[in-house]
Amino acid sequence: MRLRFSLQTNLMRSLLSIILGLLVVGIVLKLSGFRPFEAYQALFEGATGISSGKPVSISDRGFHIGTWDGHFSTYTFAQTLASITPLLFTGLAIALALRAGLFNIGAQGQMAVGATMAGLVGAIGTGGAINPVVGTLPRMIHIPLVLLASAIAGALWGGIAGYLKAKRGVHEVLSTIMLNYVAINLTNYLVTHSLKDPNPANMAVQTGLIAKSAWLHPLVINSNFTIGLALALLCAVGVAFLLAFTVLGYEIRAVGLGAGSARANGIAVPRVIIKTMAISGALAGLAGAIEVMGIHHRFLQGTAGDYGFDGIAVALLGGLNAGGITLSAVFFGALSNGANFMQLQTNVPKTIAVVIQAIIILFVGVRFQRKLQAPSKAPQDELESA
Amino acid sequence: MNVPANDPNLAIRMENITRHFPGVIANQNVHLQVTQGTFHALIGENGAGKSTLLNILYGRLRPDKGRIFLKGNEVTDSLKTPADAIRHRVGMVSQHYALIPALTVLENVMLGMEPTGALGILQRGKASERIQVLATQLQIAPLDLHIRAEKLSVAAQQKVEILKALYRNAEILLLDEPTATLAPQEAETLFGLLQTLVKRGTTILFVTHKLGEVMAYSQAVTVLRAGKNAGDFATAQTDAHELLHSMIGSRGNLPLQPLNPNVEPESIHAFAGESWATPVSISKSPLLQVEGVTVRNARQSLLVRDACLDVARGEILGIAGVDGSGQKELAEAIVGLQKLSAGRLFLEGVDFTQTSVAQRKAQGISYIPEDRHHAGLILDFSVAENYLLGQHHEASWGGGAFIHPTLMEARATAMVRQYDVRISDLGPSIPARNLSGGNQQKIVVSRAMESHPRLLVACQPTRGLDVEAARFVYKTLRDARQQGLGILLFSLDLDEILELADRVAVMYNGQVVAVLPRSEATPERVGAWMTGAALAPTEEIP
Repeated sequence: MRLRFSLQTNLMRSLLSIILGLLVVGIVLKLSGFRPFEAYQALFEGATGISSGKPVSISDRGFHIGTWDGHFSTYTFAQTLASITPLLFTGLAIALALRAGLFNIGAQGQMAVGATMAGLVGAIGTGGAINPVVGTLPRMIHIPLVLLASAIAGALWGGIAGYLKAKRGVHEVLSTIMLNYVAINLTNYLVTHSLKDPNPANMAVQTGLIAKSAWLHPLVINSNFTIGLALALLCAVGVAFLLAFTVLGYEIRAVGLGAGSARANGIAVPRVIIKTMAISGALAGLAGAIEVMGIHHRFLQGTAGDYGFDGIAVALLGGLNAGGITLSAVFFGALSNGANFMQLQTNVPKTIAVVIQAIIILFVGVRFQRKLQAPSKAPQDELESA
Repeated sequence: MNVPANDPNLAIRMENITRHFPGVIANQNVHLQVTQGTFHALIGENGAGKSTLLNILYGRLRPDKGRIFLKGNEVTDSLKTPADAIRHRVGMVSQHYALIPALTVLENVMLGMEPTGALGILQRGKASERIQVLATQLQIAPLDLHIRAEKLSVAAQQKVEILKALYRNAEILLLDEPTATLAPQEAETLFGLLQTLVKRGTTILFVTHKLGEVMAYSQAVTVLRAGKNAGDFATAQTDAHELLHSMIGSRGNLPLQPLNPNVEPESIHAFAGESWATPVSISKSPLLQVEGVTVRNARQSLLVRDACLDVARGEILGIAGVDGSGQKELAEAIVGLQKLSAGRLFLEGVDFTQTSVAQRKAQGISYIPEDRHHAGLILDFSVAENYLLGQHHEASWGGGAFIHPTLMEARATAMVRQYDVRISDLGPSIPARNLSGGNQQKIVVSRAMESHPRLLVACQPTRGLDVEAARFVYKTLRDARQQGLGILLFSLDLDEILELADRVAVMYNGQVVAVLPRSEATPERVGAWMTGAALAPTEEIP
């Protein structure tokens, strides 16, 4: 009962933050000489694929609601689903770490390492061919193999920060930020040298194509939407189960809410920290794998995008629980995809989506801050010494 | 009591003070009158609303309704912050001192009221002169003003707090449980100091749990019970029995010393017929042996020096000592939270020096930590989740490979019933934060007892508890002793140790300086060891 109540209040607060964020940005748009309603309408169309008027492409389906004509673009909708996928992975990664009281700023680096590993393991069976080749491994083996390798790479990268925190007391914010630079530069170095695209015509900083046996195919033609989203949703269920029903999840929550009491009651806090950072890194690593396998089919510079940092917003808006994070990933995915369309339609720069995201997090932050601080003003504390 | 509200002879007059917290009424129509220049005690059980009233008077909390007069002037609307209180010449020494550890005594005392000259340049000399004058008046001079606050003992910090209030020209001094962390001799010194202040015309209002202090030093007493007035007394015309009765109300037909084993026959006879019900005899082979344990902190300074102890089955070994004498660190070394830099630990002859906290738990070492909020419970966990803490690998508690929420809640419900933990009607899914201190401690204690311990390490198990909860803890410890457990009882409360212990060890300055049989452990002797007075006269006594 309490759980449902807190879910409800969390949801209300997140929705309120979203509404306030859209409102504030709407005012900014208005003051900047744009038409906020038109912009938001375009944003909505780009996010959902639903718009008014007659179908414009063959993938669009027309429909009528009363006298209102509209059409639904499966392609646009699928692109939104594709945008959700990496956000859900990194959002889960960051939230899990935060539940243990760890601020993993390093999802970026962990994702980059995972993506590079996907480029490497995905190339097994290509024989260094320049053009796409099927590869020698069966899909049913190659795909899980790439996913596993990327998850392990991310886990190791996250685990380093966990180890440094647990054994050497290095604050994870510092170590993960620094490891981000190491990861980005290391992977860039690799793809400009030993792992560089063998195609001499390609000057880009990227690996060669991975074998087709490791490709995830679009579920809607030409889109980036793959089975990867299902994997992300599976991970969300997994994280929820981990936290609620496993001993490790219990220990993670105990360390996050009261490390001193956890330790005094026999929980090996350092071990929990390392494990949490490893799982967090694995989730981020998977995000990288899905991007490589489903979209680029190779690792290229900047594959990790800003997903590592956007994941922080996803985690916070989602209230650090798997269900909320799923909803918040849907929202931010829709926002980023819708913003592209909005820019095309209304000339409102698509970076306005980042502004919306930032303002929402400010509003979420107001209450999150309060939650993180020990509520010293709680009546029990006041009364206790009375 | 028909004194006009604006009578200037009343230093404090509070009328109809009511203050709600979510779900709780901390103060309900409370009245308080303190005569100018007197030593006034405010007593009551935990949760009676004493601290709330003090905090209202110091501007930390606003009353929902009611009026406040200081020296005959109404200040209800101008008392909104501690700064206002200071302006009205009210000073407060809280339970938890508010000194800044890295600043010197001088900097702490003048903080917020620094004398400045032209161009705002700080005049340290002026401040230090004034403080030394105050210190001389209080007979605590000479005072080293340039020592950092973190280096001071608890008693010395308290003196600095008092000095700080006087530096701000306080004429009314509020003290919240000033002797809770002091040794008996230190408490006497404190009361001497406070009496000096009263003679100089300062009005003192102090909150305490200790009726002995009230009877010995106060001139008038106000008793609160469950947020309401329960009586006003002139100390000379009352006795401890009457005050206790007033404090605990309908439960007042308890004997005055309810914790004496002789009036609790059930604790001796209730278990007759059980196999261990043989009369308690201290067995010769020790349960716990502590051999030459030394603990250092990160900066390599000694916290515990070469401590040697042993505890037998069915024995309570009380460890007395002034706060900060190394008790906490020794206890933590035994349960596995402190690394030893030397020494060995044995449980029934088996060396466990190198084992982890979890392994020691599994071997039967249970721990009741001093700080139930940061070492005992996880306040944002539910009651049920807290019961699982430390037992989360045990299937019978709902743990194991996976957590079984229904089993976990069922076990917690059973525990709550068995140990009479009051958790309202919402069941064990409410956060532990919502419970009173006494009920929180009941969770910690009952959890420790139900994990099949052989040795119980209890640190200040009744700190901050009311009479009823303390009784529960005492009974639990006595029962545990009857069952053949060895108990190490660390406490700053000498009365508690003398009440419960079979033998008394004393720690001073990180060392175990004495182990006395109960018959030889008089308060005077233990007190002398606690303060180091019994040591060679060349030893420096802080």
